[in-house]
Amino acid sequence: MSSAIKVSALTKVFGSTRALDGVDLEVDEGSVFGFLGPNGAGKTTTLRILTGLAHPTSGSARVFHSDVVHQSMRVRAQVGFLPDVPGYYGWMTAEEFLRFTGRLFGLSGSTLDDRIASLLDLAGLSGVKQRVGGYSRGMKQRLGIAQALVNTPRLLMLDEPTSALDPMGRKDVLEMIAALRGRTTVFFSTHILSDVERVCDTVAILDKGRVVRQASMKDLKHDGAARRLIIEVASHAEELLARLAAESWVIECKRDGRTIRCTIEDLDAARLAIPSAVSTLGAPLIRMEEEEPTLEDVFVELVGGGR
Amino acid sequence: MMRGIGVLLNKDMLEITRTWRLWVLPAIMVFVGLSSPVLAKITPALISSITTDQPGLVIEIPDPVTIDAYLQFTKNATQLVLIAVIISVAGMIASEKRAGTAAIVLTKPVSRSAMVVAKVVSNWALLLGSTLLGAALCIGMTILLFDAEHVREFAVSVLLWFLLAAMYVACMAFFSVLIGSQGGAAGAGIGLYLVLAILSAWGPGRDYTPAGLLSAGDRMMLGESVEVLWPVLTALGVVILAIVAAAALFERQEL
Repeated sequence: MSSAIKVSALTKVFGSTRALDGVDLEVDEGSVFGFLGPNGAGKTTTLRILTGLAHPTSGSARVFHSDVVHQSMRVRAQVGFLPDVPGYYGWMTAEEFLRFTGRLFGLSGSTLDDRIASLLDLAGLSGVKQRVGGYSRGMKQRLGIAQALVNTPRLLMLDEPTSALDPMGRKDVLEMIAALRGRTTVFFSTHILSDVERVCDTVAILDKGRVVRQASMKDLKHDGAARRLIIEVASHAEELLARLAAESWVIECKRDGRTIRCTIEDLDAARLAIPSAVSTLGAPLIRMEEEEPTLEDVFVELVGGGR
Repeated sequence: MMRGIGVLLNKDMLEITRTWRLWVLPAIMVFVGLSSPVLAKITPALISSITTDQPGLVIEIPDPVTIDAYLQFTKNATQLVLIAVIISVAGMIASEKRAGTAAIVLTKPVSRSAMVVAKVVSNWALLLGSTLLGAALCIGMTILLFDAEHVREFAVSVLLWFLLAAMYVACMAFFSVLIGSQGGAAGAGIGLYLVLAILSAWGPGRDYTPAGLLSAGDRMMLGESVEVLWPVLTALGVVILAIVAAAALFERQEL
């Protein structure tokens, strides 16, 4: 599979601050890619470099094999972009704004007319004659995605598209993104974990200007974090807790009645040792099951330690 | 190099017709065009009415003539209108950056130079329309109150004023890119205005720099022999330099 985005050792320095510190990133064509990180991690800076709004201090960034600095025009012709706070000409209607942006890509005639009609429909703005200056935040965000799609981009880049929206607005925007799966590559930055879990198939986690992990959602949850086991016994829960807590492969154990939740460092060792411990204590085992970590668990483990 | 210039220019022209900008400069020009001949006509009477209240004070004021109306227009245009032009165009690039519209537009396959040039040209168009409107009203009112003499000299004077104002628009594009705020750019523009005003009082400054355009029209209308080649050429040079510098600076800036 070819790369839509390939970033190597990308660095951006603002005065004494390293906003990006050697970022390496590869986004496969066709994926819905979540660029996840806490506020100030460098997500927006990366997107600004990819779209030509900012220049890297060092390193390289390529979009469809074109260098974003030296072949910026070629890159921009192939991408659609929604900034974190999109600015509009408040005196235009949505249709006028889409017509304007479409013309910037050289579109005209019936091609542009048809494109505008379908995008207004996608954004739920068909028939809205109100000027953009009077739009709600959600309407503006949906228009923002529509304008980013006006050139049917090979790559759609969205910067925090849901961060300032109410639940209904978020739902609408995420559904728009999900509807694009298979039609275009989507690269979107966010700090909202549930959004990533809902629509992304691949994730990179950025922290303090560095990519600390990049993987598919499935791999990330499977490999990235410590595992959790839930053990429920009919009796002797207190004794079992004391015994497990002393094991070297246990990070943490907590008891809630007859149920014990353990965070495990070495799952294989745990699988062997726990049944033996239960048996030795004569505790009737009701269940022992693995609990899949959430993206939040992975995220906290990767970026939460230093905070 | 100028990719997207047509679309951007079309947008900027439409923006003028849809916003406050359609009314401010033309309204000022209409006011100046209509009021200048009237003011020239009634000024002697006004002053006389004041002096009659003060025994012993005698001021001899000649009767107003046609040229006074046109001189009043260029005086107002050089002071009031130029300052209005400076303030009204100061945010031409800065406001796009601040509002985030530049970030949307310039992530499309459009050159930043095209955005600068489209802004300057659209403001020139507004300025030209306003100037023609104001000058035409001034001529009409002057013919009504005085006579139809000196129209040609006035037209040349207005043309020279327009070149000066167009130069300010180009300089404001540069300040707007450089400073990034409407207030700051306006301040720099007014600073430039003061510098030219001072230069115009100094012989070589008046003869060899755009500062000569501040008074060239008036001096022509008063019958002086005025050489405007250098002021015109240097003003055109400043226009080109300001636009090229604004575009080059904007290309390097981060948004």
